[in-house]
Amino acid sequence: MRARTLAAAGAWILAAALSACGPRDHSVIIAVAAPLTGDTGAEGQGIKRAVIMAVEEANASHRFPYHIEAKPFDDRADPKEAVNVANLIISDPRIVAVVGHYTSGCSIPAAKVYARAPIAMISPGATTPEVTLQQTSPDWIGPRVVFRDVATDDVQGAAAARFVYSRLGLRRMALVHDKTPYGQGIAEQFQKTFQELGGTVTSFDGISIGDRDFKALLTKIKDDSSRPQGIYFGGLYTEAGLILVQMRELGMKKNLAFVSDDGAQSPVLYEIAGDAADGAYLTTIGVPVEQLPSARDFLARYKKRWTGASEDIKPFDHFGYEAANIVLDALAKSGPDREKLLAVLPTIRHKGILGETVFDDKGDTLNKIVTMTRAHAKDRSFPTVK
Amino acid sequence: MLAQQIVNGLSLGAIYALIALGYTLVYGILAMINFAHSEVLMMGSFAALGAAALAPSMFGTGVLALAGLFAASMLAAGALNATIERLAYRPLRRHSRLTPLISAIGVSIILQNAVFLWVSDQSLAFPQPLSGDAFTLPGGAQISALQALTLAAALALMVLLHLFVEKTRMGRAMRACADDLEAAGLMGVDADVVIAVTFFVGGALGGAAGVLYSMSYGSTKYNLGFLPGAKAFTAAVLGGIGNVRGAVLGGFLLGFLEVLSAGYIPNGAQWRDVIAFSVLILVLLARPSGLLGERVAEKV
Repeated sequence: MRARTLAAAGAWILAAALSACGPRDHSVIIAVAAPLTGDTGAEGQGIKRAVIMAVEEANASHRFPYHIEAKPFDDRADPKEAVNVANLIISDPRIVAVVGHYTSGCSIPAAKVYARAPIAMISPGATTPEVTLQQTSPDWIGPRVVFRDVATDDVQGAAAARFVYSRLGLRRMALVHDKTPYGQGIAEQFQKTFQELGGTVTSFDGISIGDRDFKALLTKIKDDSSRPQGIYFGGLYTEAGLILVQMRELGMKKNLAFVSDDGAQSPVLYEIAGDAADGAYLTTIGVPVEQLPSARDFLARYKKRWTGASEDIKPFDHFGYEAANIVLDALAKSGPDREKLLAVLPTIRHKGILGETVFDDKGDTLNKIVTMTRAHAKDRSFPTVK
Repeated sequence: MLAQQIVNGLSLGAIYALIALGYTLVYGILAMINFAHSEVLMMGSFAALGAAALAPSMFGTGVLALAGLFAASMLAAGALNATIERLAYRPLRRHSRLTPLISAIGVSIILQNAVFLWVSDQSLAFPQPLSGDAFTLPGGAQISALQALTLAAALALMVLLHLFVEKTRMGRAMRACADDLEAAGLMGVDADVVIAVTFFVGGALGGAAGVLYSMSYGSTKYNLGFLPGAKAFTAAVLGGIGNVRGAVLGGFLLGFLEVLSAGYIPNGAQWRDVIAFSVLILVLLARPSGLLGERVAEKV
């Protein structure tokens, strides 16, 4: 009996101690919803660090009469988990806005939860048109809550198609995608533009994420009688890297160009593909952060705040940082109130590291630049193709 | 194109076959599915990665590095599998057949999460001592050094296993235990030792497969074992679980099925798993104990 009382007292003290180290009750919270573990965990961790940095800078500047915090939520790039996370977020009244989610697959279902609250979300990485387009459907319940500061796939897939057709002069392309809304969407946009230009799509195949052997499909493309001159892949770096390695093993790298998207443009591509990544053409949304004059200062601060080998800047960090700063701008105008903040967001003209971000009536950014880069395996960089 | 697809199917099937042997050896003696086998293969791959990280000078390139990777992975995976048997299966051996099955699923979850939480939740680059360039075979098919190694290593290990089971005293004891565990015990065979050795051998084969699999794809990860484990289990059932030749046949057959459906059926890459598993169901409907049947007791 006594032991049980002691245990109960112990548990109570422990609980009290834990809650004492929790967030301060009066602080205002910005949620960061992104994959922090799993295949795309590296990108999510980068976005998390960028948002934390933006919030720390805001606190240090004393712009706000209250303390602001960034609170990370892990959606594991899994749409089911994203809905759980979204429900957690809307049930915490201290949270005023969400930076996230990173993938389109997560953003689409999570947005429906946020519309119920309602609470604004600004995605730093979801590029499928559907993410914002779904809000214009008559079935949409609630106000429009989705914004993003990245350009959409229709811009990216189309830019890649124009590059392949005019700059590389290729006329026959084999298309491969990873069956996700992002990968398939971007491949379909590529197909549409490439065919409008007069190019031929020789094949259109889906692969499964998690599969590691694509040699059968690649052999089919290699021996295709309509002789494709290159492969366009819609998907992420893991599968892109495996495809590059297996293209080299099958002796295809000499004759076929490999073109892919910003999901494949990650330093981790070199971890998987090594030298086989060399020469891959990858689009990136916006101007690469190294080349943005307005972002140079951001890069320096990022490197100072987050030092260490695994904490290199990731491709979407500047979008995360910008999204957090847009939220902060809105917060300064509206005060810490979800609905007022949501009402203010469409009027924001934010001048930041990406240039000027203004949202159109769907919630998409009007700042739509796509840059083509080419993998350079020797120093593991992605220089811009001039 | 057919020649190339045959090369692809052989190298994929060889890895499935190696893993399937681990399932089938254990099933042959204990009539139990070791669901932790896919994690044993993942742990083997991480052991090789760890060894390479501890002694980078030894694991640069060439034959020595390869031998080191295989030795580290096979020893660690074999020892781990034997340890799992000792701790999680042996105490349950006399209980219903479901109990050790649940225990195996538990071990699998523990190992996967231990690596996820303590080692890394990301893909880690795996050493690649062989160059990735391809050779052209007569007939126009390309084969990479790694694919050739995969085939050679898998075949060598299978021959060794065959000799071990058929020609050595321990192999004879294993066959005796597979026939009748209790009768073998009465005849003076130490069943505990035989079972431990079986788990060690099965685990070591899994470890070798883990190295080949990680090298083929240049990376390893906490859930590396799940997909090939599930496929290899399928291959073992396809060939006739408990039957060593069946596991090899099933592995190669599954490899070919996947490769051919991805290569020859329109949009087959999306459907390869569906096609492979549909064939499995059809085979099992016609031959419920697999193509070669479960191992039949030898009549003396």
